[in-house]
Amino acid sequence: MFLIKLSLKNLMRHKRRTMITAAIIAWAIFFYITFDSFLLGMNDLVFQNIIDYEYGHVQVANSSYWEEKDELPLKNLMVNDEEINQKLTEIENYKAHAPQIDFQLRLSDGINETPVIGKGISPQETLDVLNYEDYIVEGEIFKAGERKAVIGKRLADIMKLELHDYVTLLTRTKSETFNTIDAEIGGIINTPNPTVNQNIVLLPLDVVQDTLSVDNMVTHYIVRLDDQNFDPQIVQKFNENLQVMNRNLGVYSWRDLDEVSITQAKQTGNNFILLIVLTIAAIGIINIVILAALERMEEIGMMKAMGLKEREIILSFVLESTGIGVLGGIFGCILGAISVYLFSLYGLDFAVFVDIDMSAFGVPLISKIYGAWNPDAFINMFLFAVFGSMLASILPARWAAKKDPVQAIYKR
Amino acid sequence: MSLLELKNVKKIYHQGTINVPALKGVELNVEKGEFTTVFGPSGSGKTTLLNVIGCLDKPTEGEIYFTGDNIADLDKRYLAEIRRKNIGFVFQSYNLIPVLTAYENVEFAIRILKNISSKEIKNRVFKMLELVGLKGLENRKPNELSGGQKQRVAIARSLVKKPKLVLADEPTANLDSKTGEEVLKIMLEMNEELKTTFLFSTHDPLVMDYARRKIELKDGQITRDERREEKDVFN
Repeated sequence: MFLIKLSLKNLMRHKRRTMITAAIIAWAIFFYITFDSFLLGMNDLVFQNIIDYEYGHVQVANSSYWEEKDELPLKNLMVNDEEINQKLTEIENYKAHAPQIDFQLRLSDGINETPVIGKGISPQETLDVLNYEDYIVEGEIFKAGERKAVIGKRLADIMKLELHDYVTLLTRTKSETFNTIDAEIGGIINTPNPTVNQNIVLLPLDVVQDTLSVDNMVTHYIVRLDDQNFDPQIVQKFNENLQVMNRNLGVYSWRDLDEVSITQAKQTGNNFILLIVLTIAAIGIINIVILAALERMEEIGMMKAMGLKEREIILSFVLESTGIGVLGGIFGCILGAISVYLFSLYGLDFAVFVDIDMSAFGVPLISKIYGAWNPDAFINMFLFAVFGSMLASILPARWAAKKDPVQAIYKR
Repeated sequence: MSLLELKNVKKIYHQGTINVPALKGVELNVEKGEFTTVFGPSGSGKTTLLNVIGCLDKPTEGEIYFTGDNIADLDKRYLAEIRRKNIGFVFQSYNLIPVLTAYENVEFAIRILKNISSKEIKNRVFKMLELVGLKGLENRKPNELSGGQKQRVAIARSLVKKPKLVLADEPTANLDSKTGEEVLKIMLEMNEELKTTFLFSTHDPLVMDYARRKIELKDGQITRDERREEKDVFN
């Protein structure tokens, strides 16, 4: 107890020095928590953008198709029949589903041409699973059978296309022959997802099926569930359930997407950078313990003369450093909480700071980013500050405690 | 049995390739309750002798019996244990902890001992501070005390754990002669009242006159060992 009392008093011996070191730790914690909140907020938004405008919660497709889906093949498709439509409603937490065909497409205005991803959709069903309706800025979504297209605002700007303009959409049929769709631009969409805005052309499913000569086939189904954070077991169970149809179908959660893995990997990389920042704080602690030991050499000598054991002297320094860690941890968490609160309330408009399209870096994001609360970050950072400070002080404290008492007393 | 017995104690410091002998075969007996000074010029080996006796340093050669046990070859952990329980120190520069009050500085020495109740600690610390004339100054920090008062705190700290031996290395060197004399008187009073053995070094003739036994050290060897009757001390 007396050593704790002594350590607390020593903590306040050089208030300014203690506060500066605690401030370094606090800054590191504040920085980590804020950045973590930013990353989590960005991740949440990225995931939300993927779910709401591209993927839904779950997709169902032929397993062989899924392996090659990035190449947009027209083989290994699945029949859009009553049986599968009925089956899809059996998934737990089911809300809605929609059939879709993804295919390669070249969009031409007669002068310029650009490759895009064509999406054949069943309008009403798709609006139940993807949140396009709120983001149609001009015109409206087509009806089945209409030779109309909905394109993204960015794509329209690049190609200088306007509502009611006609475009030629060049594609290859299932048998690899060229075919075209002449379509009027019936709607322009501007979602928070840049991929949708720039790379996608939506067309009526029946028109696409006819053009591609795929009869009543689709590449996959998009399924919307009641809850975004559904239990992964649901997917597994439904996958097993699907196998009874014997159609080689697979169920794929949004969590399995490459974009999700990439985003998570980016966070790991950022954590490493933040670890470096926190290491600097640890160096601050080591520095302060060495300084304290040097200026208290006579006291250390006297303590040894009084019969204090080395571990007791180490403990007094370690307790003092831990106190700095606690101070830094508390201040850092308070600052972090204020920062995350403001960040989650007002958000941060990324475009104001960086005028670049993040989709080029695999981040489907163009809207404001709001901070996300992560209690784990607060707990982990506080513990890191306390235990980091404690551990950082052990070696210099050992060095001080091992000083020869005579040399310490007489400052030799 | 003597409290302390030194047999042919030698201490050699190694400075690079040069060997510097600080003690050259010291033979010494100190009885319980003695008030002894070790005097001599600078570099005569006074501090080294006190350090070796106080278990702060080990002799290069020889035997040191403290309460009958040879402590010369003990491990530093055991030496720390002996210091903790049996030896009090008073240093020239007081070596008080600046963030602690006078009370807490004295308390520190007894807190590190086990099996003493808080009440007992409080009584002993207050009593000790009263004995050294610091009643009412318990809550002052070292920077609020004069040099003499600081040294009194150091004396109280060395005595509060009731050690068998108090070693004081030039306890009056940083004090003016009047204050130094006061400090010496307090040490002598403590010696008489508590029967604690005192061994202190000095090169101040005024201070050494207070000792009942004077040991002169020259070039690491005892050259004179005089005892005085108790009645002569204050003359």
